[in-house]
Amino acid sequence: MTFRQFAYRNVIRNRRIYAAFLMASVFSVMVFFLYSMLLFHPSIEDRFIQEIANKGMLIAEVVLFFFTVFFLFYSMRAFLQARSKEFGILLHLGMAKSQLRKLVFLETMIIGIISIVAGTFLGYMFSKFFFMIVREIVLLPALPLYISWQPFALTIGAFVGLFFVISSFAFKFIQTDKVSELIQRDGAIEEGYTFSSGRGYIGLLFLGLSYAMAISTTNKIVIGLLFLLPPLATIGTYYFFTDSLPLLLHKFERNKRFYWRDFWMLSISEGIVRLRENARMFFIVTIVSTVAFMSVGILASLTSFASQYREMHPLGLVYQSKMDNELEGRHVEQLEHELALKKLDYTLVKFQVLEQTSSFTERKVSIIKLSDVNDLAQSFGYAEVELMEGDALFLPPTVSSYEKLNTDAVNTVLEESGLAIKIDGAYSHRLFANHAMGANAIVLNDLDYDIVLEKVMQTQRSVINYYAFNVLDWQETKDIGVSIEAGISESYLDGTNLQLRYAFDNPGLRYASFRTTFSLLLFVGLLLAGVFFLASGSFIYFRLYTTLDRDRKQFEVLRRMGITDSEFKKIVNRQLIPQFFFPWGVALLHSSFAFLSLQVIWDALADISIVKELLMVIVGFTILQILYFYLIRWRYLAHIKALD
Amino acid sequence: MTTKPIVELTEVTKIYEGKVMTRALNRMDLEIETGEFVAIMGPSGSGKTSLLNLISTIDVPTYGQIMINGIEPERLSQNELALFRRRELGFVFQDINLLQMLTVEENLVLPLTLDGLPIIEMERRVKDLAEHLELKAILDRRPDELSGGQAQRTAIGRALIHKPKLILADEPTGNLDSRSAKEVLELLTAINVAEGTTVIMVTHDPIAASYCDRVLFIKDGEFFNEIYKDERRQTFFQRILNVLSLLGGGNVHDLSSVRLP
Repeated sequence: MTFRQFAYRNVIRNRRIYAAFLMASVFSVMVFFLYSMLLFHPSIEDRFIQEIANKGMLIAEVVLFFFTVFFLFYSMRAFLQARSKEFGILLHLGMAKSQLRKLVFLETMIIGIISIVAGTFLGYMFSKFFFMIVREIVLLPALPLYISWQPFALTIGAFVGLFFVISSFAFKFIQTDKVSELIQRDGAIEEGYTFSSGRGYIGLLFLGLSYAMAISTTNKIVIGLLFLLPPLATIGTYYFFTDSLPLLLHKFERNKRFYWRDFWMLSISEGIVRLRENARMFFIVTIVSTVAFMSVGILASLTSFASQYREMHPLGLVYQSKMDNELEGRHVEQLEHELALKKLDYTLVKFQVLEQTSSFTERKVSIIKLSDVNDLAQSFGYAEVELMEGDALFLPPTVSSYEKLNTDAVNTVLEESGLAIKIDGAYSHRLFANHAMGANAIVLNDLDYDIVLEKVMQTQRSVINYYAFNVLDWQETKDIGVSIEAGISESYLDGTNLQLRYAFDNPGLRYASFRTTFSLLLFVGLLLAGVFFLASGSFIYFRLYTTLDRDRKQFEVLRRMGITDSEFKKIVNRQLIPQFFFPWGVALLHSSFAFLSLQVIWDALADISIVKELLMVIVGFTILQILYFYLIRWRYLAHIKALD
Repeated sequence: MTTKPIVELTEVTKIYEGKVMTRALNRMDLEIETGEFVAIMGPSGSGKTSLLNLISTIDVPTYGQIMINGIEPERLSQNELALFRRRELGFVFQDINLLQMLTVEENLVLPLTLDGLPIIEMERRVKDLAEHLELKAILDRRPDELSGGQAQRTAIGRALIHKPKLILADEPTGNLDSRSAKEVLELLTAINVAEGTTVIMVTHDPIAASYCDRVLFIKDGEFFNEIYKDERRQTFFQRILNVLSLLGGGNVHDLSSVRLP
């Protein structure tokens, strides 16, 4: 048997131990590969979402990579500690340290290469499926499977490097100078039962403070809190796991009435030990999950933000044309034709907007005719408005400006036409998108309007024709007027956009691109959260694995003492459930409070649709977590009960 | 000595089936009276531990019958067995096996918490035992802060707290220095005498065995010999050694090669 064969057999015959480690690595590699498949996909190349999607994927790749580094280091350490007895025997038998180093290096590289090959292979197998999901979520046209060397090169390169580094450092985790200790140790690191109650209270205080502040945020301080709260909550969480929880459990221990009941003693005391061992891991899992929840929540709320888009763009398709636009007739005809082709119902309202200078503010004012406004209002089903000669109404540029303008009354003269008017109050319905008519817009009585129009036609001809297509199924309009849009884009590229005599606004199309981008980011975030979730479960499994010998002995004592199977399961449940769900729960609590405070900025959060999406995400992950819990409990119980 | 047997084995055979089939016990008959203090001795691989496991009810015989306190463990379900062990048996192990994360006091009450006794009752029993076993000063310590003797005394306390009818001890002095070992053995004897608890102890150590009422020798899974204690522990010890020397020599019935011309 050569040395390499020895390393190989170590891995192959220890596969039960290596399984969880391998599974998590394979999954990381696979997700990384899927991301890079999307990253290099040739057919998203020239699309508008390309940039954001690519950036999202890139960030996801980097986060994933660093997380994998951390994860592999951590599990490697736990793993080698679990095998310290084996290493002790090897050293005892006279293996040189350099040989042991080589052994660990070879073993890790074998695992690494297996997971890279398997991960890339599985990734490629699943990429068509992945593309299909992406297509469904993102509403993109079908993404064909493609073969390119880039995703392979990126994945393999990144992970070979990663495993190489880890393999070289892994040896440091074995304390080779204490052979006798290595042999005797049963894998578990003995840590003291000490905790500082001072830090414990600080942890609770910090968390309480952050929560209290998160609830009581107002618009003024929210930006400040944005910088203060995350570090405060992070430190609080850290102390919470390292000190506050042991403190609380210790308090519980004193209460014999509960502690000495119903196996609590075994569960709690074991829980404290696990907590001491895993506090840092719980902290990391909590923070990572919080970030994942937050990003999923924020992305979800961005998606639902799009649903408010309609309110901000009430008119649907809008085509603007200046007087000397030769394409006007053709474009409008084209739009009507395309809408008819798509069988979309619409009402077309044509109106004009004039421009004048107000003597009161010395600024430009857009002027709209009352009967046009009433026509538009009618198409929305709003009531008509009447105006006397010489009177005018403000047309508020945003919803929030309505109240202020409604109480204003101004006497002014439209300078170019010399018409004196009194603007009193504001128009109450929303007809136009924000600032579509400029910051200052007024509605004039038809007679006054005609006077102004006459003057304008004589002098400057600055009249703009608006064609508003009020489409009921406004989300379906993304294919309407694509060539017009393209013409506009082209003129921007040529630098001739200022000479353009027309403009076109298609909220349906913009909504679609919005939705697509955010959905894609959401999807990326979810996949990332999936990796974190899998990894955190594996952490717990490794930890359990490293103390398996001790646990087995304990089980043996309990078995003799007379413990029934269901009682033992109950004890194991009480040990495992907190490990699985406690960081999860704290993360949930953190993100709920964070959302509460973000709500101040993000009114959209009140929208019911996010609550639904958030719930779906949380429920989905919880179900996965429960399944994972059962899987690991099943493996753990099998290991414990196996008397070898 | 009372007459009613608490443990009764009839023609018990235990075969372990694995890649290699081993016959750990062969047609073993054994009776242990209530209130007896019995040591089981024998070389490694003689089946001592198998015998103890069978009496512990964590294993069942391949053939034969076992009765413990009038109950046949084979007829009980796993749950009933667990409850039976919890209430009727107490265990003391060679490597002591206190639960590391519990204090001495908590280790002591552990069997009681499994059964959900009232707190006052638990506290009373801990107090009694602590006084009896001189554990009062160390009740709040963790197992890793105890000496070997203290730890084994705690373990014995744990085996006693639910007032079992039968205590099973597997090499209780195996990991102890001679002074601690003496302490532990005297303690077991005292309990046996004072409470009338039956004690079965598996041991390698002739000194430990000499504290018992009766020493049972087994070899290759079969009954070999038994001797009863006499007036003086010293002579009993000597007799145990004699049997052991017979037991140790592989071919006592043969002529020693040295004596052959």
